[in-house]
Amino acid sequence: MATKRTIDVALSTTGLDREGRPQRVPLVADGSGQVTAMAAPPSLEPELEGEHMLINLGPQHPATHGVLRLVLELDGETVVRCIPHVGYLHCGFEKIGEYRQYNQIIPWTDREDYLNSPGNNIAFALGAERLFGVEITERCTVLRVIALELSRIISHLVWVGTTCIDIGAFTPFLWAFQERENIYNLLEGWVGARLTTSISRVGGMAADIPDGWLDGLRGFLKTFPKTLVEVDKMITRNGIWVGRTIGLGIMTPQDAINYGLSGAMARASGVAWDMRKDFPYLDYETYDFDVPIGVNGDVYDRFLVRMEELRQSVRILEQAVERLPDGPVNVNDPRLILPPKSKATSEMESMIHHFKLVMEGPRPPVGEVYVPVESPKGEKGYYFVSDGTAKPVRWRIRPPSFVNLSAIPKMVEGHLLSDVIAINASIDIVMGEIDR
Amino acid sequence: MAINVKVVDRPIDETSYVRATLKGLGNTFKHMIDPHKVTTQYPEQRESISPRWRGTHRMLTTEDGKAKCVACGLCPTVCPANCIKLVPGEDEEGNRYPLVFEIDEFRCIFCGYCQEVCPEEAIHLGRHYENSEYSREGFVYDLERLMAQTHPVCEMWDPADPKGE
Repeated sequence: MATKRTIDVALSTTGLDREGRPQRVPLVADGSGQVTAMAAPPSLEPELEGEHMLINLGPQHPATHGVLRLVLELDGETVVRCIPHVGYLHCGFEKIGEYRQYNQIIPWTDREDYLNSPGNNIAFALGAERLFGVEITERCTVLRVIALELSRIISHLVWVGTTCIDIGAFTPFLWAFQERENIYNLLEGWVGARLTTSISRVGGMAADIPDGWLDGLRGFLKTFPKTLVEVDKMITRNGIWVGRTIGLGIMTPQDAINYGLSGAMARASGVAWDMRKDFPYLDYETYDFDVPIGVNGDVYDRFLVRMEELRQSVRILEQAVERLPDGPVNVNDPRLILPPKSKATSEMESMIHHFKLVMEGPRPPVGEVYVPVESPKGEKGYYFVSDGTAKPVRWRIRPPSFVNLSAIPKMVEGHLLSDVIAINASIDIVMGEIDR
Repeated sequence: MAINVKVVDRPIDETSYVRATLKGLGNTFKHMIDPHKVTTQYPEQRESISPRWRGTHRMLTTEDGKAKCVACGLCPTVCPANCIKLVPGEDEEGNRYPLVFEIDEFRCIFCGYCQEVCPEEAIHLGRHYENSEYSREGFVYDLERLMAQTHPVCEMWDPADPKGE
C-alpha cells in the first residue's frame, strides 16, 4: 500500500455523492493562499489502491499546444507527479544567429513565438538598437506600439480560442479567429505577410504603413470590442466554464515569484509585474492603461486577466492611433539603414554604400545588452554579446513560455487528468519559443 | 504615471448554467441571421491579397527579354535561409549575367530581403500563393522559370512608393 502524498493546494477533485459517484467539490476561496489538504476520497477499487500508472501526454497530443510531452504519474485519475519534457522542436535559432548579421536574424525571430511575430521582431530590434546605441524616430516608436499591441491581441485571442476548445467550448474559438483574421489582413497590408511578418529592422521598420491603413485599424478597433463582449457574454459567467477553470493550478504570489513567472501568469497570482510598467520602453509610460491583476492565481483568474488585457490593448491602440506623428520611420543613420532604392539605383555613392552595408553588415560596438519587453506570454528578453563584428558572438532569448512551463509540475499535482489540460492551456505556451 | 494596477472582478456569484446556455444559443442564432458572412468559398471565391504580398518569386526582364540580374551577389549574401544559388558569368562585352540562378522555394522563407537589397530591381517577390508540383525538384525554380512567371510583383521596396522603401 503506497502512502498518499499530501498536497498543499486546495483541490477541486472528486468526492463522492450519495450514490457513490464522483462529484466535484467547489473550492472555497481563501485569498491568503493558505488552504488545508482534503481527505482522499474512498477508493472505488480497493484492490488497485496505491498502484500508480505512468502515462505520456504528448508529444503529439492536440491539447498540449505543440510538441510538449508530459509524463504523468497517476493514482486513479489524480496526478501525483508530472515531468515535462521539452526539446522536440529545437531548431537552434541561437546558434544559427551567430552566423547571421543582425538584420538577418529578424526573420528567425518570427518563428520562435509564432503567435507574436511582430512582437519578437520589435523586441529583437529594440535589443539590437540599444547595442548599436541609436534612438529610433517618434513615428517608429508609435508604429511599434501599434504592432506590439496588435500582436498581443492576436496571441490572447488564440489563447482564449484554443483554451475554449481544450475545455470543450467551440464557438468562441471561431469568433476569436475571425477577429484574428482581421488583424492578419491589416498586417498583410502593412508588410505583405500574415504570420511571419519580419516587420522591423534595426533602426526602423521594414516599411511605413500604406495610405489608408489607419482607417482599417480604426474600423477594427470599432468592431473588436463587440466580439470581446460576445466572448465575455458566452463564457465569463458560464457555469461550465467557471466550473472547469476555478480553483485549478493555483499559484500563490510567493510561488509565482519563486518560480520566476511573468506575464499573465504572475499577474493572475496578484503580482503586478509588467515590463511596460516596471521597465518602460517605447514610451509606454506615457500611455494611459491599466495592468490587471488577479486574486487567487487560478486558471479562471488567468482567463480574466487576459480578457482585461485585450480591453487595455484596445485602449492603448486608440491612443497610439491618435498620437501617430508624421515624419521619417527609419533613423537617419547611414551605418544602419540602407539608402533609398531610388538613390541606390542612380547614384554611385549610394550604390557603394548599399553594397557595403549589405555585404559587411552594420557593426555594433563591443559590449553586451539585455532588453526585456512584455510579450503576451510574459517577460521576453533578448541578450546580445558583441565583439564588434557584424554578427553577434552570442545571442539568447529569455523565453517566457519556458519559465512559465517550469511551474507545471507544481500546478498539476493533485488535480485530475482532465484538469491537466486546462492548467496546461492556461500557461499559454508556444513550443517554438520554448525549444527555440 | 498613468499606468494603474487594476484587480480583476471575479463574477463567480453571477455564474449560471441555464441562463448562460440560453445566452450562448441566442448569440449563435444572432450570428446565423447576421447578413455579414465571413466564410470564403475557396477556391470559387478568393480573398484579394494586398499589393505588398510576399509570395512566389519572379525575375523581371529587360525589353529584349533578358533577365535584369547582373549577378552582383547581394541576394545570396543577404538571404537568411541560404536558398539562392548564383553562378555569375561574363559575356564578351564584359557584362555580368547569371549563368545559374536558382531559388529553392521550399527553403525560402519569403522574408523579401532579396528584393530589398537588389540594386537592379530584378528579383521580386510576387503576389501569388498557390504552388504545387509533383516532385521536390520542381520547387527549385531556375532562371527561366523565374522569368516566365507573370503574376504581379510585391510593391514593397518599390522606388515608386516612398512609404514602402
